[in-house]
Amino acid sequence: MKQIFNFCAIAVFVFTVLCSCAGNPPKDERELAEKAFADAEGGKDCDRENYLAAEELLRQAREEINNKNYDKAKELFNAVKEKSDAIAKYYREHPDECMKKDGKENSEDDGTIKEENVASTDEADTTADPKNPEMDFQVVHFEYNQYAVLEEDLPKIDLMAQWMMNFPERVVRIEGHADERGSNDYNLSLGEKRALEVKNKLIQAGIDGERIKIVSYGEELPVDPASNEEAWFKNRRAEFKREN
Amino acid sequence: MSVHFRLITLTAVIFACFNLFAQLQVEVKDGAVAEYNMAVSPLAVLDGADAAHASEISSAIEKVLDITGYFKVLDKKSFLEKPETAFKAVNFKAWLDVGANGLIKGTIKGKDDVELELAFFDVAKGKALIQKKYSSKAALAKKSAYRFAAEVIKLLTGEEMNFMFSKIAFVEKTGEKYSLVVTNFDGSGRKELYSTSKTILLPEWSADGSKIFFTSHEKNNPNLYSYDLKTSQIKTVSAYDGLNVSASAYPDNKTIALCLSKDGNSEIYSLDTMTNELKRLTVNSEIDAAPSVSPNGQEIVFVSGRSGNPQIYRMSLSDLNKVERLTEQGNYNQDPEYSPDGTKVAFSGRDEKYQFDLFIIDLASRQISRITQNQGKNESPTFSPDSKIIGFSSNRSGKSKLFLSNVSGTKQIAVYSGEGEVQMPSWSPAETN
Repeated sequence: MKQIFNFCAIAVFVFTVLCSCAGNPPKDERELAEKAFADAEGGKDCDRENYLAAEELLRQAREEINNKNYDKAKELFNAVKEKSDAIAKYYREHPDECMKKDGKENSEDDGTIKEENVASTDEADTTADPKNPEMDFQVVHFEYNQYAVLEEDLPKIDLMAQWMMNFPERVVRIEGHADERGSNDYNLSLGEKRALEVKNKLIQAGIDGERIKIVSYGEELPVDPASNEEAWFKNRRAEFKREN
Repeated sequence: MSVHFRLITLTAVIFACFNLFAQLQVEVKDGAVAEYNMAVSPLAVLDGADAAHASEISSAIEKVLDITGYFKVLDKKSFLEKPETAFKAVNFKAWLDVGANGLIKGTIKGKDDVELELAFFDVAKGKALIQKKYSSKAALAKKSAYRFAAEVIKLLTGEEMNFMFSKIAFVEKTGEKYSLVVTNFDGSGRKELYSTSKTILLPEWSADGSKIFFTSHEKNNPNLYSYDLKTSQIKTVSAYDGLNVSASAYPDNKTIALCLSKDGNSEIYSLDTMTNELKRLTVNSEIDAAPSVSPNGQEIVFVSGRSGNPQIYRMSLSDLNKVERLTEQGNYNQDPEYSPDGTKVAFSGRDEKYQFDLFIIDLASRQISRITQNQGKNESPTFSPDSKIIGFSSNRSGKSKLFLSNVSGTKQIAVYSGEGEVQMPSWSPAETN
């Protein structure tokens, strides 16, 4: 029995090796790696070491493609993907740190005195209360070239759904936006997709779709006109607006 | 790969190289690839002609030659011979001394009714190869000069160019204000057609050049409008809920391809603007956008996110299942634009340095060549009607300006820079010359 198993294992191994030696460039692996690396761009500054390592691996992988060493290239692409995913994860989990490193680092130890107005604690904050008709609507953010709602932004949509449940006569408009990178026409479509995705989440939460209008502005209305990660992150967004 | 197949490939490569070599020789002989030094002498101003008009005309000739990338226009300061020297008395030695291969000379007579006489000389041969006389109202004299320049270009390069008889529309964004602007091909003669604070996006010419389609959020939804250049009237073309963007004209002058999201996703449709008959062309859960119709009206190129990131595709309009992906390199390729001669597609793509640059796909060979590199953000390529020049927006020098480049990317110049940022240029069809 064990022998048969061994034989099968060897057969599978040989088959796999044969397949990968068949001489085709690892197109899927490459695409996944390139995409993952592009998505890891946000972590370029805060996870620099890993980012540079991923960049080097990608360079090597492309070189192996040119040298027609497709097995080696495939291995390298997989490594790029793994590393890039880790960077992206780090970036998502440490957004504050990553953005701070975007050139704001030095403002910390400059010896100035910080003074803040602290809200008095006995006044309840009603701006985030879904029972308050004047509740502040929160902004939903997106990853580069993505329209899926981020896990951490789902509570914002839940809050919006509660508010819409509480005020059934109200109609809202979701405005979808993209960052400045990419063409105007594709960004209009991306903004539309983002607004639609948020709308669908509200519908799933039980809100009548007739009460939700959507409009895309593409890259036309940035909240921050700068060209850096921090600005781009702020600009990739869906905003809720009151229609009535 | 079999040895046999490799052999065929190798032979093909050698053959291709040989071909290229042969072609280069011809072009060098004609003065095309090797830089051809052209002296454009100031015009001799006679019989009450306006000196400013005369210099405007000779600059226009210089500009046209320069834009093609085939000529080095020599600095007038070095010229030894007076403009007034008669065609028959040209001292070719004096032109050889300033390094000229070719010489353009001319005279202008009259103020309102202008007589323009122009001649092109081969300096080495010491003779005139083209000599023409044009009579017209003053306003048309520049056009005569363009006709002459086109003849010189044809003679020296074998290429028919008519980009000088066309216009470029674009959006100029100044603060919150969007303006729909049209200029001549060289950025001169700026005309503001329409302005609003509610966005003007993606202008595109109708097939006959009489209208410009554009999208605006004027009514808080991105609707498609047309601006009639004769009557200045703006009409709504498409106002479905959601996107009504990226019009691209069919050669029949009534149908357009466009991107709508009324069915819940960005898809491409064709719309008969006379009957309002709508036909859906793409069905895909990812984004399909930015159609550009081929000059014969039988295909479109467009952007789709169906592979996970935006890439350029080509689809047959007679068989919507016939879709092929044109770009494999890079993971962010957009803005496709069919060349009017049907042989090329220009697009903008994000390169390994995360910059947007322009590329051209040669449809026959599938070779992709790069037009811009390390020069800021370069977007929205648009072909001149002769497919020889590409217009685009670039922020390489800070503010976004209107740039022109020849298709090999070897000659790139800014032709318009105004108060605002230049965005989304679109080149008109050729006017009759």
